[in-house]
Amino acid sequence: MSELHLTDEILMAFADGELEEPVAAAVARVMAQDPAVARKVVDFQQSRRLTRSVFASNLAPDVPIKLRAAISAQIEAYEAASKADERPQLTEPKRLWPRMAYPMKMALAASFAAVAVATGFFAGWQLQPEAGRLATLEDPLVLRELSRLESGREAELPVGRLRVISTYRLQNGSVCREFKLQSPSAATNAVACRSDEWNVTFALTEPTKSAEYVPSSGGNLMDAYLGNLGAGNPLEGEAEAKALIEASR
Amino acid sequence: MATAIGQELVALLPRLRRFALVLCRSQPLADDLVQGACERALAKADSWTPGTRFDAWMFRILRNYWIDHLRRMRTEGMMEDVETQTQLIGDPGEGPIMSKIALAEVQRAIEGLPQEQREVLALVCGEDLTYREAAEVLNVPVGTVMSRLARARKRLVELTAAA
Repeated sequence: MSELHLTDEILMAFADGELEEPVAAAVARVMAQDPAVARKVVDFQQSRRLTRSVFASNLAPDVPIKLRAAISAQIEAYEAASKADERPQLTEPKRLWPRMAYPMKMALAASFAAVAVATGFFAGWQLQPEAGRLATLEDPLVLRELSRLESGREAELPVGRLRVISTYRLQNGSVCREFKLQSPSAATNAVACRSDEWNVTFALTEPTKSAEYVPSSGGNLMDAYLGNLGAGNPLEGEAEAKALIEASR
Repeated sequence: MATAIGQELVALLPRLRRFALVLCRSQPLADDLVQGACERALAKADSWTPGTRFDAWMFRILRNYWIDHLRRMRTEGMMEDVETQTQLIGDPGEGPIMSKIALAEVQRAIEGLPQEQREVLALVCGEDLTYREAAEVLNVPVGTVMSRLARARKRLVELTAAA
């Protein structure tokens, strides 16, 4: 008689009704003969019931009015835009970003101003990376680390602490990386894309003194920018490693 | 033409907030996450296939949004005061069958689980996703979902055995 090795995972899947029939029947037979196995299955059923009860009790049906209103407004904006067959400007500032077409450094200031005016959600965010800051972002040591550091890693550099956030591959095959450079006076979130070398294509600076948590305005802007680039999902694991090898050539 | 997902989105808000709270353990931050995730979802409504589970699609967007957020922010400060945050969560509602005391005990046990176990537990046992659906939300193999889930539930049983 072949021996069925019943792992916890199999017993749990049985308790959850996730096992295919021949295996489920086999588990049921073992359960009938072995109280210890039956006990484990009952425990898995119990833990599911307990968890479900806790989650049911955590379901607060009263979504805060502010949140509901904000989301309803988003929905209306999108539905109106999709009727008019265009996307709202908030997340698709496409026409405002004739990027890549111009030498980036020259276009930067103008583009930022345009987006800031169009979207108007910049309290607390300083959108004008003066020439000095851009030079810092394009410091050779920063650019070298961009070809090496995995996402999530940090490096202490003379110009500040560099943290690489994520890696994307655009439809044209080029690799872009989002990163953060923290100096004593300011923190800058930026994107650099690589053709023959790394070029900083986007940067958002916030003064360090506003240390408290800033919810999402900056993140949204970065999202909008990455969305506009067609960045898609970040590369992970091997895909990222491969992109970095390309980038270090 | 964008797929209209507005109604479904609004109906899903309470569950999105609940899952966001599992991820970040802070109600104000959870609401920010929900709002950001909704914005993303609306921007790419076309990528949802009608007829598939809308909730699983949204949970995935929400979780990816959270991960991006973590990558951008240094979060140690936020995660530290789990103790103070947990009391936000145990709002007693219509808890079926169990007493509030027992519920609170299970709640504490869940809070004590590692993040990767808590989220899979929330998706499968709290939100009734299948293993495969949870694997897609979490972007991990089904086998990983099963091992994390089994560990989480064994631990829960141990911790609440006295209840």
